[in-house]
Amino acid sequence: MTIWLRSAFAASCLVAATVAGADRASAQTVPTIRVGWTVPAEDAKYWMMKRPEQFPNLGKTYKVEWIQFQGTAPMVQAMVAGALDCSTQGVLSLGQGAASAGLETYVVAQHVGEKPGGFSVYWAVKDDSPIKTVKDIKGKTVGINVLGSGIYGPMAMYLKKNGIDPEKDIKLVEAPFPTQEDAIRSGRIDVGVLNQPFASRAEAKGGLRKLFSIADGVPNVVHIVEACKKSFVDKNPDLAAMYVRDLTTGMGKALANREETLKIVSEVFKAPAAVFEPFYFKTNDFARDPGAAPNFDGIQQLFDIYADVGMLPKKLNAADFRNAKIVAPLK
Amino acid sequence: MTRLTSIPGLPPLLACLGILVVWELLARWYGLNGLPPASQALPQIPHILSDKESLIDMGESLRRMAIGYGLALLIAVPIGLWMGRSRYAAAFFNPLMMVIYPVPKAALMPIIMLWLGVGDASKTLVIFLGVTLPLIYHSYQGSRAVEEKLLWSASAMGLGGFARLWRVVLPAALPEILVGCKTGLVLALITMVTSEMIARQAGIGNIVFVSLDLGAYDTVYAMIVIIGMLGILFDVGFEVLRRRLVGWADSPHTIMVGSA
Repeated sequence: MTIWLRSAFAASCLVAATVAGADRASAQTVPTIRVGWTVPAEDAKYWMMKRPEQFPNLGKTYKVEWIQFQGTAPMVQAMVAGALDCSTQGVLSLGQGAASAGLETYVVAQHVGEKPGGFSVYWAVKDDSPIKTVKDIKGKTVGINVLGSGIYGPMAMYLKKNGIDPEKDIKLVEAPFPTQEDAIRSGRIDVGVLNQPFASRAEAKGGLRKLFSIADGVPNVVHIVEACKKSFVDKNPDLAAMYVRDLTTGMGKALANREETLKIVSEVFKAPAAVFEPFYFKTNDFARDPGAAPNFDGIQQLFDIYADVGMLPKKLNAADFRNAKIVAPLK
Repeated sequence: MTRLTSIPGLPPLLACLGILVVWELLARWYGLNGLPPASQALPQIPHILSDKESLIDMGESLRRMAIGYGLALLIAVPIGLWMGRSRYAAAFFNPLMMVIYPVPKAALMPIIMLWLGVGDASKTLVIFLGVTLPLIYHSYQGSRAVEEKLLWSASAMGLGGFARLWRVVLPAALPEILVGCKTGLVLALITMVTSEMIARQAGIGNIVFVSLDLGAYDTVYAMIVIIGMLGILFDVGFEVLRRRLVGWADSPHTIMVGSA
């Protein structure tokens, strides 16, 4: 037993030491950008991740350390903590980071937003629901992905325009996007919010009816952008420029080759391409600028809305988030 | 009935089949996207296990788990043994344990992320914290229960403090320490997954949480089954090791599903 005991103890020491030693601690000779990403709809980044050989500088002149996050808010924390240089951000998380945590960033590119004729996040009811117009939702249970999320501001604004106080006249229930369809169909909520790919899936199944969308109240909403810390960009302008140049190229490649983009998205999400086929880059998808150019007017519009509804403690100026030289499109 | 339950492996097999049947029926009854039938989820398992990237993800998670678990063994067991033999050590560490014990370790992740960044270190620390407490507690209890006569004899034979701890207390406390190791193994598996909830580069979380975000519930449930299978494998492997190490001890402290 004693031999066994000692061998086991020695083995455990050896395993711990070996595994710890094998941890990634390779010396970096090429500058590396630490980038946070999330799902979905960051096609330029997905191309860079999965087809790096198509970007001449990537992996040679500079490297990207990709770190996946569950949502944009933790990426704000990580940027504040100095663990990330750039990340995907919603306009609200960006504003909250700036106003509450003093996070100074530049918006260097835009992933997706809305434009007339394209997809707009919408609230739906069952086909046979007595709710016919937005005014009928008084006293009803309404779904939202996250209380205080980026889409809450435009929704609150739209409801107020229609004489409904979102804080008093409805019961808001938090449920992640993937669960909203089930919640509507099972009657747990009267109205639910649908985003892609869940909207497309629900539409294919039928039985739900669109009640109102974000675009009904606020047109051209900006959903997700790429933000880099000012300190990082100011200290490493060439490195940041290379990254933004590749984001621009990546967006171009994504839009130019839908079939390959679907493959890449499928690889990233480990989900069949059929999940994305019904809407990706179609008229029922979000809008993407071919050069990944940020819509600073759209960002300003959202900053103002968030400040008006009390989601931001102060007014912010979108121009403060712009670096004239390092912003997509960058060739 | 008694005859059936005495067939090795049959009761857990029947339990698993029962769960699958209930799962299948409930899923078909409710017809929710969020609860796919077992017949839809289980076929995803071979797809996941034959995908190279998924295997790399699992390997990365298990690597972190091994580091966190290994470090916890190296640090927690000596502390527990020391606590059991020194009332000063017990007086010092016990209040700390009381404070740390109820804190959900995964909830510390955002704070740990601020200290250690978003890489492996923060996830490994969460696993380490999750495993440490049961290891300390059981090592402490095992060490306390060592008969004084053994230690007196060892002292009489000229063994110093550290040698007594290494050559007398550790072997005598080993059955109890291994109970802690077994509990720790399960907790390591749980914290391994939860540590990847917020941020990750590679790991099981890549599959579980991305599928959850996309509403790909068949993959989510398949991954839950895979993680459960990993737990069973670890448990069975650990039980083999335990028998080799402390087969002389009486109670096997079996908590796994098994009939042997």
